[in-house]
Amino acid sequence: MKRMWLVCMVIGFLGVVLCPHWAMAKDTAKLGFVYIMSGPFATYGQFAKQGAELAMEEINQKGGILGKKVEGFFEDSQGKPDVGVRVIRKLVMQDDVGVLIGLDSSGVAQTVVPLMEELQTPLIVTHAATPAVTGKLCNKYTFRVSVSLNQNVKAAAIIASESKAKTWTTIGPDYAFGYESWEYFQKYLSKLKPDVKFFGKEQVAFAPTKTTDFAPYITKVMESNPEGVLISLWGGNLIDFVKQASEMGFFKKDWQVLMTLGAATEVLYALKDKMPENLWVGTRYWFLANQSPLNKSFVEAYHKKYGEYPSYNAHGAYAAVYAYKAAVEKAKSFDKDKVIQVLEGLELEAPIGKLKIRKEDHQALSPAIWGKTKADPQYPIRILDPVRIFPAEQVTPPIEETECKMK
Amino acid sequence: METIALYILNGLSWGMLLFLISLGLTTVFGVLGVLNFAHGSLFMLGAYFSLQIMRMSHNFWLALAFAPIFVAVVGAVIEKFILKRVYVRNVSYQLLITFGILLMLDDAVRLIWGPAYHVIDPPQILSGSITVFGRAYPVYRFFLILVGPVLGIFIWAFFSFTRLGKVIRAAAFDREMAAGIGIDVNKLFTLVFGFGTYLAALGGALAAPHQSVGPAMGERVIIESFIVVVIGGLGSYPGAFVGALVLGIVESFGTAFAGPAQMALPYMLLAFVLLVRPRGLFGKEV
Repeated sequence: MKRMWLVCMVIGFLGVVLCPHWAMAKDTAKLGFVYIMSGPFATYGQFAKQGAELAMEEINQKGGILGKKVEGFFEDSQGKPDVGVRVIRKLVMQDDVGVLIGLDSSGVAQTVVPLMEELQTPLIVTHAATPAVTGKLCNKYTFRVSVSLNQNVKAAAIIASESKAKTWTTIGPDYAFGYESWEYFQKYLSKLKPDVKFFGKEQVAFAPTKTTDFAPYITKVMESNPEGVLISLWGGNLIDFVKQASEMGFFKKDWQVLMTLGAATEVLYALKDKMPENLWVGTRYWFLANQSPLNKSFVEAYHKKYGEYPSYNAHGAYAAVYAYKAAVEKAKSFDKDKVIQVLEGLELEAPIGKLKIRKEDHQALSPAIWGKTKADPQYPIRILDPVRIFPAEQVTPPIEETECKMK
Repeated sequence: METIALYILNGLSWGMLLFLISLGLTTVFGVLGVLNFAHGSLFMLGAYFSLQIMRMSHNFWLALAFAPIFVAVVGAVIEKFILKRVYVRNVSYQLLITFGILLMLDDAVRLIWGPAYHVIDPPQILSGSITVFGRAYPVYRFFLILVGPVLGIFIWAFFSFTRLGKVIRAAAFDREMAAGIGIDVNKLFTLVFGFGTYLAALGGALAAPHQSVGPAMGERVIIESFIVVVIGGLGSYPGAFVGALVLGIVESFGTAFAGPAQMALPYMLLAFVLLVRPRGLFGKEV
């Protein structure tokens, strides 16, 4: 009797798992998405999904891509490289997607990007910012439409060079993203202001992403008395940090604080009025920065559908979907090799502004946006005022600097 | 030096929070012999329930009083219907099942409250900072430093002096004998697991104003709780107290002085204790 039960359950389970697969064997344009959907950074994946779904809905309402309806397949990378690899293989081989869009974690990106040559499928990165994606690891299948670490940090360096801070330290997450942010900041700032000094390995603070109590790092940095602090923490880490640091007087000190990803709406919505004002924060997209009709209608449509203002992750996914559509329509084909040829050098009008995907390294020439936090009764979150938009040419590293050797 | 004082305060406040979380873990292991991997998720559930109650009532003390009770009920249900079946089996079953519970709770929380982070304030009397050695130090951290030992003493007193406490210790010591003299061991164990869950959730409710409430906050503390419990000795309260204190101070000073090596320190401490005194500082002979 018990055996029969077990057999029935297994058959039922298999049926549930396989049925949708059979049902969906229709002729649609399949897009694969890989984001962090669980764990401490889950909001980023959630917001990206929202941006992507908005784009796909708009496209389907207008007839789809080359007449085919668009269908999205979302997978959770959990921020782990091995899981990222596994779900990408599934999307390409099992779900037969024409393009992969996504990646939040630079760590996952570094493992997944080289895989694209084997899978021969275009990958459009919309968040992972490590320079390696369009640098050391660049390949003809990989593209990035979002602001890279270099672009964001170069803008930070420019702001830093205009301040009077002469000694700098950093607080960042204890993995590639934190180290590279610091490395590039030092590189760019020392060129702009050669007399600046940077604290050494023993004095800077890198916190494991599982940290929930930042007090030791806060105390360490406050006691070491720098004149400027570069903060590359993001997501839940940044939220915990800002909360705890405010209580310890971190933001009352007379020093320059730069938070490279402080204007992520994921963070601003969580902190609301606990985010201090007058702080220089960076982002990869700011919903109020561009006055173009396209941006206004994107923000309005997103706010209407989801009740919040779009984050940079939502914008990245949205722009990537439209970039793919533009490429397929230009190539007049879904063929992956034709699509990658057209994506190179593609120019696209996105809500952030004009994006051009540079041919040599597949990095989008995108403006970098920083601003100072300010309270505004019209909005439930801190907004940026003033906003500084750094044009792409000012912040994007020239090809020679990127270590990209595209074959 | 003022800086050293600050490092000590940091270590103490973090240590006491760890102690509160580890109390439940060590109780469950000491009495039931179960290593509850889902303990971190119950901690998280306590934080979320507390968040919910605070949203509806704007009262921290109400949340602190009731959230752990609700979570304890969830814990008792888990024990009665799932864990009871694996007591007699291999430890690996326990780890697998509690890990499965962890995953289910994590996703349940994400489905109900969404993946976003929530930030709540401590109550008026506990918010703000006092100036200590010329630096601002949050009042809430001092609260945590005090709550730890107070709670620890209460629980120790409960187990040492009350009848119920002695009954529980008897059942933990020798399950068969206790059943033999008429103690309803099954009900007792459900009660104890519920109590362990209560402590985890209390930790969560106390942690909620201190850090943000978000998904997977359980995973981020569970490893350190295990380290505390192992260093202190599985099942020992003074052990959990000392273990948490040691870990808190080591991490605080490690961050300040050990640079990049700081991440390895808790594990090195664990390895050291396991090699030199495997039963932990206060653990009983195996």
